[in-house]
Amino acid sequence: MSDEKERAELLAALHAAGAASEEDEKELEALIEADPSLVAVVKDFQDSIMALASSFEPLQTSPKTLGQIQKKIAREKGGFLTKLRSWLSEL
Amino acid sequence: MTDGRPVDPAQLVAAMAAGDSGSPLSDLYALYASTVLALLMKMLGSRSEAEEILQEVFVELWRRAPQYDSSRGSVVAWIVTVARSRALDALRARSRRHGDKQLHFSDRHALGTESGRPDVLVSSTRWHQALRQAFEQLGEDQRAVLELSYFLGMSHDQIAQTLNLPVGTVKSRILAGMRALRTMLPIIHRSMVA
Repeated sequence: MSDEKERAELLAALHAAGAASEEDEKELEALIEADPSLVAVVKDFQDSIMALASSFEPLQTSPKTLGQIQKKIAREKGGFLTKLRSWLSEL
Repeated sequence: MTDGRPVDPAQLVAAMAAGDSGSPLSDLYALYASTVLALLMKMLGSRSEAEEILQEVFVELWRRAPQYDSSRGSVVAWIVTVARSRALDALRARSRRHGDKQLHFSDRHALGTESGRPDVLVSSTRWHQALRQAFEQLGEDQRAVLELSYFLGMSHDQIAQTLNLPVGTVKSRILAGMRALRTMLPIIHRSMVA
């Protein structure tokens, strides 16, 4: 593997693992701009780390949690955040 | 999901984006809440805090539903990203409250089987078992750097300080770990199909 490809793969791995610095992120963006095929490398790493994140034994949630979520959303509906949400949907 | 038909998560998100906070949200919650709670528990180590953040995650998913773009990733990837981000916020807030300079890494973050935990476990699927077995095959060094970066949100510099390693070593372990994970996934997929 060329040094350039190795560097791009390292940056993609750091990005997916959440360990990239701002400079790393900027460098990765520039490399992707120059070579859009790198997006697939990033996505492969992201899929791998997502699998890791969703691999833990599922836990039973409290029976009250869903109701509490729905109450919070009901409070938001009609308020400022709903307007913000509507604005975001138009972006 | 009440009629037993499989649910397309992307359609649920689309319905939420249209403003429906009823059954689409309940169905999405039924599909993913137990997995999200497990991730939050792993990152936060506190059941009560994890339950609290779980609520925030689903409220945020509802809020952000109009922004979900299926071309940029799956629904589960979107949910995990939101959950991880909220958990990292909570860890940072905790760190500020306690004046910690560094987030602490402890055994509770270690990947592995959790049989015997007092929490009520939802029945484990073959998929989860296969994934965990695969991840247990990662080298300990690789697991440690991935856990610190992904689950505690540390940069490579912070990991280097925490583990007392050169930054270059941390980066190469992250790359090796990510390559190993990438290799394992197709094998798991094949084993599930077989």
